[in-house]
This record gives sequence, C-alpha cells and structure tokens, in this order.
Amino acid sequence: MIKRFLVLLLVLSMGVMFSQLLVGYSPDRQLNATAHYYATQTASETGAANIVSAIIVTYRGLDTLGEVTVLFLAAAIVGMVLSAKQGGQSPTSASEAERQLPPYPPVGELLATGTQLLVPLILMFGAYVIVNGHLTPGGGFQGGAILASGMLLLLLSDPLRTIGHRLISVVESFSGLAFVLLGILGLLLAGGFLDNKILPLGTFGSLFSAGAIPVIYIFIGLKVGAEFSSMLLNLAKTEER
Amino acid sequence: MVSALSFIALPLGTAFTLGLLPQGMQRVNYLLTLLALALLSLIAASWLLAFAAGEIATQQIFTAGTTPPFSINLQIGMAEAAGLLLLNLTGLLSVIYLRDTLHQQGARAMAVLLIFIMALSGIVLTRDLFNLFVFIELTTIATGGLILLSHDKRALGAGFKYLVATQIISITLLIGTIFLYHDSGTLNIDGMAAGGLITGESLALFLVLIALILELKPFPANGWALDIYESAHPAFSAILSAAAATAALFAVDRLLLVGSNSWLPLATAVGVVSFVGANLLALVQRNDRRILGYSSIAQMGLLLVVVGQRDILGESYLFIAGGILLAHAIAKAGLFWLSGIIVARDLSDWRALQRNPLYIFAFATFIAMLVGLPPFPGFYAKWDLVHLLAAHDRIALLLALLFASLLEALFLFRWFGYVIKGEANPEGIICARNKLGVIAAATVAAWGVAYLWGEMALQGNLLYSIPLLAALAFLLLEWLAVPYKNVLAISVLLGWFVVNYADYNPLQLIFAVIILVGGPLILLSSFYARGRRIGFYPATMLMFAGMAQLIVAKSSFDFFAAWEILTIGSYYLILRGKASEPHAISYIIFSLGGAFLMLTGFALAAAGDLNFLLSNLSEVAPAVAPWVFLLLAIGFMTKTAAIGVHIWLPGAHAEAESDVSPMLSGILLKAGLFGLMVLMLEMGRQSLYGVDLTHVMLWIGALSALLGNLMAAFQEDAKRLLAYSSIAQLGYALFGLALMNHLGWLLALMFVINHFIYKSMLFLSVGGVAKRTGTRLMYRMGGLITLMPLSFIAVLIGIIAVSGVPPLSGFGGRWIFYNAIMTAEYRLPLIIIFLAGPIAFLYLFRLIHTIFLGQLKDEHRQLREAPFWMILPQMIFVACLMVFALVPGLALKRVDHYLLQYFPEGGLSWDGLTITSHFGYWSPISIMVIVGVIFMTLFAWLLFVNRRAQKVKQFNIVFAAERPFRPETTHFAWNFFAPYRKALGFLTEPLVTRFWDAIGEALHSLAELLRRFYNGNGQTYSVHLLAFVVITFLLARGVS
Amino acid sequence: MAYIALATGFLLILIGLYGALTHSHILRMIVAFTVANTGVNLVLVGVGYMGGRTAPILDKAVEVSAAAQRIIDPLPQALVLTAIVIGLGVTALMLTYAYRLYVTRGTLDISRYTELKW
Repeated sequence: MIKRFLVLLLVLSMGVMFSQLLVGYSPDRQLNATAHYYATQTASETGAANIVSAIIVTYRGLDTLGEVTVLFLAAAIVGMVLSAKQGGQSPTSASEAERQLPPYPPVGELLATGTQLLVPLILMFGAYVIVNGHLTPGGGFQGGAILASGMLLLLLSDPLRTIGHRLISVVESFSGLAFVLLGILGLLLAGGFLDNKILPLGTFGSLFSAGAIPVIYIFIGLKVGAEFSSMLLNLAKTEER
Repeated sequence: MVSALSFIALPLGTAFTLGLLPQGMQRVNYLLTLLALALLSLIAASWLLAFAAGEIATQQIFTAGTTPPFSINLQIGMAEAAGLLLLNLTGLLSVIYLRDTLHQQGARAMAVLLIFIMALSGIVLTRDLFNLFVFIELTTIATGGLILLSHDKRALGAGFKYLVATQIISITLLIGTIFLYHDSGTLNIDGMAAGGLITGESLALFLVLIALILELKPFPANGWALDIYESAHPAFSAILSAAAATAALFAVDRLLLVGSNSWLPLATAVGVVSFVGANLLALVQRNDRRILGYSSIAQMGLLLVVVGQRDILGESYLFIAGGILLAHAIAKAGLFWLSGIIVARDLSDWRALQRNPLYIFAFATFIAMLVGLPPFPGFYAKWDLVHLLAAHDRIALLLALLFASLLEALFLFRWFGYVIKGEANPEGIICARNKLGVIAAATVAAWGVAYLWGEMALQGNLLYSIPLLAALAFLLLEWLAVPYKNVLAISVLLGWFVVNYADYNPLQLIFAVIILVGGPLILLSSFYARGRRIGFYPATMLMFAGMAQLIVAKSSFDFFAAWEILTIGSYYLILRGKASEPHAISYIIFSLGGAFLMLTGFALAAAGDLNFLLSNLSEVAPAVAPWVFLLLAIGFMTKTAAIGVHIWLPGAHAEAESDVSPMLSGILLKAGLFGLMVLMLEMGRQSLYGVDLTHVMLWIGALSALLGNLMAAFQEDAKRLLAYSSIAQLGYALFGLALMNHLGWLLALMFVINHFIYKSMLFLSVGGVAKRTGTRLMYRMGGLITLMPLSFIAVLIGIIAVSGVPPLSGFGGRWIFYNAIMTAEYRLPLIIIFLAGPIAFLYLFRLIHTIFLGQLKDEHRQLREAPFWMILPQMIFVACLMVFALVPGLALKRVDHYLLQYFPEGGLSWDGLTITSHFGYWSPISIMVIVGVIFMTLFAWLLFVNRRAQKVKQFNIVFAAERPFRPETTHFAWNFFAPYRKALGFLTEPLVTRFWDAIGEALHSLAELLRRFYNGNGQTYSVHLLAFVVITFLLARGVS
Repeated sequence: MAYIALATGFLLILIGLYGALTHSHILRMIVAFTVANTGVNLVLVGVGYMGGRTAPILDKAVEVSAAAQRIIDPLPQALVLTAIVIGLGVTALMLTYAYRLYVTRGTLDISRYTELKW
C-alpha cells in the first residue's frame, strides 16, 4: 500500500514536471529555421515530394540506419534467445522435433481461402507503399510492416509452414548491407554519407525521381519486412500446445 | 585519414555480412568480426596519432550532403579519437576473450557485439541529439542481447530489470529532446548551445541531462546495473564498464555545453554522491563482480565530478578526465577479464592467482591503477584535480573526494590482502591462452598509459626515475635465487649512495646513510633466506627507491610521489608477514589517509601551481599557512606513528618477517621525521586560532613517549614490545623537533641515528630468537643466554643504548635532551617526557631478563645460536654503537654546523673529544672509562659473592597440588608488571584503537544498512530511478 | 489542438508509468510501457503540430513555393517514426525476455526475480 502511494506520489511529481512543460509550450506560428529549410529546400535538393521521407532517408538517414539496425538487433536477439531455449541442440533438429508433435487442428475454410486470396494483394500493396514512399504517405517502414502482415496471415493459416528461414535471413542481411553500401556510395560520389544524389533526381513528383531515396526505401522495406517476419517466425515457434 | 564514418559503416556492414554467410561457418564469422574490430582500432589509432602530432584539427563530418542542423553531423577531435580507440580495442580484446562463447552462440551474437561497439562509437561521435538517442537505444537493446551470453541463469532476470529501467530513461530522454527541439528549433547540440535559446532554467534540458546521467548508473539509482555486473559474462561486463560508461560520459560532457554550463553543479553533485556512496557500499561486498560494479559506478561518479568541474580545470581538463577514465577503463576491464578465469565468486577465491606471479603482477597493476598510485595516470590526474580544486576554494568537494578515495583504497587493498595471503585452491583457476593473452594486453596497456601520462605531465615522468626503474627491474629478476638478488640489491643501494654522495647536504646525508648504507646492512640478514623469495625484492627496493627519492625531492610533486612509492613498497613488505593481513590494511589506510592530508596541504600551499617547489613553502600566504602546516604535519605523523594515529604500527612491525621489522622500524619511520624536518625548516612556527602548533606537537611527542613506553611495558610479545618502544622513541624525536631550537633538533637527529642502530639491532636479535624458539611470547622463553650468547650481547648493548644510561650513545642522546629541555619554556610536557624515561627501564629489563636469564625451557635445550647472517649485522651494529658512543661528533658535528643557519642560537662547542653546552660538558671517552671501571668492579664482586651459590634446576621446585587454570599464568614473566598495570593501566586503555574501530564499524554498518535498499526487485529499482529524477529536480530547483 | 494532444500524451505516459510500477506481472508491465510509449509518440507529434496547416507532402495542393506557409513541421513526424520503430524493438525484446523467464522459472511475477540483490 505504501509502495502504491509512493509510486502515485512520484508519478504525480512527474505530472507536475510535465505540466510545467505544457504550460511553457506555445505552438509555433512560423516554421522554425530547420523546418523552414526542409519546406523550401527539400524539393530542389532531394527531389522528393514527401518531405518526411526525404528527412527520414536522406537528411536524417543516419537515424534511419540506426533504426533499421534496431530491428536487426531485435530480430537477432529474439532469434538468439529463442534458439537458446533448446539448450545444446541446433535449431534445425529442434524444428524437426516440433514436426513430430501432434498437428494443429485444421484452420477454418474462411481463413485458408482468405489467405490465398489476400496474401498476394497484401504483398502487392506493401510493394506499392514502399516504392511510392518519396511521393505519398508511406515508405519502407510502413510497406515493410504490410509485407510482414502478409507473412502473419500465412503463419496463421498454417502454423507449421516453413517459410525459408534462410531466405529471410539472406534478404535481411543483404538489404542491410545494401543500405550501408548506398550510404558509402553517397560518401564517395556525392556530398556525404547517405546523400541521395548518387542517382539523378529526375522529374519532381514522378516515380523515378528523388535520386536514391526510392532505392534505399526498397531495401528498407525488404529489410523491415524480413525483420518482422523473422521475429514472427521465431515467436510462432514458442507457441505451446 | 579514413573517414570517421567507417566507425559506423564498417561494423554495420560486417554485421550484415555475417548474416549472409551460410550457417556453420563460425570460424569465418569469427575472423571477420575480429578483423573488423582490429581495423577499426587501427583507424582510431591513426586518428589519435594524427591529432597527437598536431597534423589535423578537430573535424566535422557531414552526412547527406547538407550542413547541420539540417542533417546529422559527426565530430572527431583528440578526445573522440582516444575514446574510439578505447571502445574498439576493448571490443577487440573482448571478442578474443569471448572466442569460445561466440563460437557457440554463432553469427547473431557476433553481429550484436559489433553493433554494440558501433553504437558506442556513434554516441562518441554524433553531435545530433536525436541521433544520440538512437545510438543509446541501440546500446540498450544490444545490452539486452549480450547479457544472455552469460552462463548464469540469474542474468535473465537482471536483463529484464535493465530493460525496465532503460524504458523509463528513454521516455525521459525523448520528452526532453522534443521540447528542446521545439524551444531551440534545432536538434544539433552545438546549435542549441550556440543559439542561446535554451537557458539553464529549461526543464527540457534537465530531463535530457538527467536521462544521460542515468545512463552512467549513478548511485543510488543503479540497482539494475549492479545486477548486470554481477551476473553477465565478465567479458561483457568489461565492455559495459570500460566502453559503455566511457561513451555515456562523452554524451553527458557534450550535453552540458547547452545552457552555458549552468548544470555543471548538478553533475558535480550527482558525481560526488555516486563516488562516496558506491565506494561505501562496496565495503561490505564479498562478490568480486559486484564489487567491480560498485567500483565502476564510483569511478563514473568521480568522472562526473571532473566533468562538472571542467569550468575551473581549464587546459588540464582532458588530461585529468582522460587519466582517470583510462585508468578506470583499463583496470576495470582487466579485473573483469581476470574474474573470468577465476572459478568461484568470493573475493578470497582470487587466491587462485597465487599460482603464477605474473597473475599477481597483473592484479596488482590493476589495483594500483584503480587506486591512483604512481606511476599510473590516475595519480597525475588526481594531483592536478586536487590542486585546481584547492586553488578555487572547493575544499569541501576535495575532502569528500579524498574520503571516498580512501574508502575505495580500503576495499581494494583488503581484496589484495585476501589474494596474497591464505591458501589457494589449485583448482580455482581455469586458464585459456586467449584469455591470458587479453589480460596480458591489458597489463601492457596499463604500463603504456602510465608512461604516456608521465610524458604529458608537467611535473615530469616518474618512470624516468632511476631508483623506481631499478626497483621495477627486480621484477624481471625474480627468477634468480636469493643470494644473487641480495648481492644485487645491496650493491644497487650502495652504488646509488656513492653516486649521489656529493650532492647531499648534511641533513640529507644523515638520512641517506641510514637508508642507503643502513639498508644494505639490514639486508645482510636476508642472506639466510632460501629459494627465490618471490615478491620480497621488488617491494623492498620500491620502498628504498621511494626513500631515496624522498630525501632529494625538490618539488611537492616529487616528494608526494616518492612518499606514495615508499608506502606501496612497505605495504607489500608488511603484507608478507604471517598473520599480517589486518595490520597491512590498517597500515595502508593510515598511510594513504595521511598522504591525502598531505596532498590537500600541498594543494592549499600551491594555490594552483601544479609544480610547486618545497622551498616555496616558506612563502605560503599567511591565511592558509597554518592549515598547510597542520595538514602536512598530521600526514607526516601518521608515518612516525604519533599517538592517535599509531595503531597500525605494533601489529605491522610485530608480524613482519625477521629482516623486515628492522627495516620498517629503523628506516621507514624516518621518512615521517624527514618530512617534519623539511616542513618545520621551511614554515617555522605556525599558530592556528592562537594555538601554537609546534606546542601541540610538543604535547603529542611527550604523550607518544609516555604512552608508548607504558604500553611497551605491558606486552608479552617481544616484537610488539619493541614496536611500542618505537612509538615512544619517535615521540622523543618529535618532541625534540617541536622544541624548535638548536639543541632540540640535534636531539632529534641523534635519535634518528641512535634509533636506527639499536632498534634495527634489537629487532634482528629478537627476530633471530623468535626464529629459533618459534614464538615471540617472552614467557615462553628464558635462560637463552648460554645458547645464544651473541644475541644476548646484542640485546644487552641495545637496551643499554635505548635506556640512555652511560656509557653508550643513548646517554649522549639524553645529555643533549636534558640540555635541550632546559632551554625550552614548556614545563608540563617536560615532566611527562621525564616520566617516560624510567618506564623504558621496565620493559627493557623485562626484555633481557625474561628472554635470556632465568630458567631454560625444556623444549629449548637443543637450540642453537641464531643464523650467521642474522648475527653478522647485529655485531656490526654493536660496533657502530660503540664508535658512535665514543665519537658522536663524527656525524653530529657537521649537522650541528648545518643547523646553525636555521637556529643560530645555542650550538654546541666541539672541542676535541669533549662537547660543551651552556650547562656543562660531555666527554664520551672518560664516561666510557669510568663506567667501564665501575662495571668491572661490580661484576668481579658479584662473581666473588656467588662463587658458592647452588644452581637450581628447573624442576627443583615443589608445586602445591594445584592445577593452574592457564599454564602460562604460572610463569613468573607472565603479566610481569601487574602492579604497575593496576596503577597505570588506565593510561593504556586502547582508546585510540577503539575510536578507529568504531569509525570503521560505523561505516560498515551504514553500508550494510544502505545496501538493503537494493532489494532485488526490478520494480523497486524503477521507483528508485523515478525518485532520483524527481528528487534531483526538486533539489536543483530548490538551489537555483 | 496541440494542447489536447500533449496533455493526452502526458496522461498516457503517467498512466503507463503508474501501471508499470504497480503491477508486478511482467506482461502487464510490458503493456503499461507500451501505453507510455504511445503517450511519448503522441507528445512527439503534438509538439510539431501547427493549427490550420497541412501534411508536409508537396503536390498540386501544396506548391513548393508556398510550402513554408502551408505545411506543418515535418521533423517531429520523421522522429516519431524512428521512435515507434525503436519502441517496437524494445517491446519485442521485453516479450522475448518474458518468454524466456517464464520457460526457465515458471513465473511472470517480477518480485520473484530477486536472487540478485544487495
């Protein structure tokens, strides 16, 4: 009880601090210098119509690289933790052991058919969101998450489906590597690490524009999709029956 | 220069490549990881070299082809390059160390490790606040993964606690970041600092800052971190402690730029609480890794203080911060790596290191480095830090830091004591070649940075000092047998004396003779030892090196360094004794405590001058001069074991080896006297609040003499008796100095010489007897006169000299003494010191009577004389005493003249062999003759009277049919002076011992109480964390 | 608008913190932190909000030349994406830990994991 009270007291003190922040806050009337620069210069510098995408992929590309790495790390650690579960056994023999467990009850007709129908559409939608990231709301992260939701659906309809672990891991690593290499290309060919001007900026507002942004976004999308899928796959294996 | 971006791109690229390789290629994966980290270390080294050579200036690295604040930029300068080298090297060595674990865990673990190092490098490099957040989160998640490398099942729970804590930190950080952006319109840290839109009042800034400080795991909001240190794989803990903490420190340092230094006091306050608190709690720990965790937190606290004080540190900032940081990182990583080869977790399990002296050497290096002993970087850094703090009147902070350093030294040296002493479990250590290689690399790095910091230091490189090098050279000669090493040691000492003979002034010469000629004389007795006697010679030579440097030191820095060196050497010598561990620890703590007071005194005197000359002590500003005098005097008196700070001495001298005790008593104690002489010559009389400090010293000297003698009288242990007698003798010397007149000083110097000769001799003879009889308790001996006649002669001559009766040199001392006090105006301390005289007879009589006279014990009938090598120096000492008794002018005449320049009044006149003062004259030769005649007459008469006496055999006694309760109580010599004890025993109540024990007890109880605070519950830890934020906020607001 | 978003965000953070510190069930703690993270994200976006302006995407509706007057601050939007992804990574990690803890010790009560202390 005392502990609850103490926690309440602390949380309320935090609340007081937050309220001070709130009181001191007044919304900007004008864009600040940084935002103003982005609003006026993005189009000419990066050729991207979606300013947020330009910021994510180019201006703050280093953050995004870190972000992708966070996912990579999370996926790798989830894999490490869950494969360590079997102790000395290697992951392959463990999944064989799982194979011999009694099968799941059959999935419903609706889910099975729905999956067959929807997965290609979902994948296509994901791809669309990814490649249009520099023009419209969306991008690699959003698209990658959509791709992974297709994977989730596949897993739901057949929990024992083995979706090439190896393939996912190759896609994951390859796209990550490609991201880094593109960044280095920027360093070598253009103005700095992750500069998108290594490719021509193209016509503003068209699909093939904004230099390397779409290319990077594709790799990000692939990587995010692969990361999420690998996490899902690993977590699926933990389900107990 | 390879672009600094490679610190991010290269490890990331490698990590992603590892995933591309087919499974089962662990060897290739491992090699790739190794290669990447090695390459990064090389790149960092090349940057560092370029900066050090001044070829390049600090560089900005832009990304995305745009300038900040619109894109993220990195910055690399000297400090960053050094940080990166540290991070990547730690990573590289840890990967080598983790070879087997990584092979087992596979590519994923290697990738996570690479990314961890990458993220730490990112924290060091980035100048963008949000980017900093991303890298911090990366380290958090990677930590979550790497904790799992541990085989310890408990690590899982610890990891979860850690994740919970970091969630709260990252919430705080993000909220602060976005509001900082809103207020300043930029995410660039330099932009925020330059823009001036963020004031010190900014709450958002506080949130970001406190979040970054929390990444340093400050006390007490750090339970989660301690659990990780305890349970994670030691190699990971090494990275966490050495590398991750370093990176976090860079982040804090950078962010403090914002708001124009207004949060520096906060950093200082949190730092000092951490430094004191963590060191205090470490006192009661027994788990090695947890104690290292506490020590890491403490060191981070210290560094936070340095960061918080950077406004006054000026140009020395990087030198100080870098010195402490590197010392911490290398030592801590080294110790964590060492802990990985030790099987069990208790501190005493580290005894397994005894298997190989090289392990002990590595361990000792790391401990010395952590404590900040010379010649390691922490020593230079602390010296500068303390001086600058003192120069800016931040005395309270300085004292808090020194107090905490003392606590740190206490638990570290206690640990060292456990390791050196006691039986080792041969199975307690598992050596793999890769792990040993890593530990060796850390040891080499430790000495490397020691050299480097010496090169950079204003005061000159300690490693160029020849005596120190000679002492270290003995480490390399450890494989030789004792006789060779002994010959070498003796010739080195004598050689050094001969080389420097011409440069000594008469005062220095007296000490030089005692150290460099007296030392070898005592070392003669070391020939009796067999085997290699590992550890003895480096320690002895270290002590002598310190002493030799001490007497010629010109600047306060040299003096202090020499003081520390002789302390380390003597500490190790004391520790070698049989049951000496508790005494060694109390010795080192009192010595370091005294040294810290000295350091404060020097710092106050120097007023910011980092290379202060001792000769300038006379020109210290009058406002601080008495304080300087007080601090330095107390510091020196801990070494002379003046009453009040004497409790380390009896045990240390009694338990030490037979040839070590004379060195400690005869030579080591003189260091304190020398210091006092230098101090009093330079500063003269000082009074504080109207009290004449020399008068206080007079009292201390008198009380030391009285109580020392009294306590000596009640000892059963012969060596303890001599030890207490040393306290008393140095009390006389102190008294003489404090008289502040010519004769007083002559008296003190007379005591310096006399005490060296007879105390060394007595310790040697008693040591020889103890060696033969196997005990030091006097009531277990008796009647040894016939079996050990030479030892008897030495003791007889010794006690005649000590007691100050004619004809030996002790009488000369007394004669000068009486002359000296007649000229002084203080009466009461005078009476006390008179009283002390007769008491000396009591214990001296007992010494010779109980050991050599009376009945021979049955079990001692087969005893032989002490070993030749122990008798030889005694006989030489006897000869010296005789010569000195006959011609005291040999040494004293020159000093007498020398003293005239300081005390022109009251010199003696040296007329041939007769010495004349105001009150009378002293002719040593005639005294010798007269006393000789009286003695011979009495002796002849005794023989005549006793010619028919019947010899009584031991068992020729009829006992009553009574069974003694304790056998020794039937011995006449047991509790010999019981009546005196009844009368005067209240004076020997161990009040001082009780006082210090109570302090120690209180500290330990406090620590025991406070540690309950860490109840192991992850939620409670989070509450601590939140409470820390809130309370810090309230305090900060309350203050400003 | 912005004030409502910020206040809601702060409230969510406080609720999340309170929940995480009072519930000893690990899964509940994780959920509570997710709530708090949502609050943080809301605050991030809220701070960048400017009344009467539109999304920072340049098209026919928002010409490049008028962009500086028409769009809201794009930076917080970019930041929040990063924050979300990182939050997701940490949540995934915590869930994995929860799973492993449950497998090894059979309990999800955090007050049972106190073997390391003092």
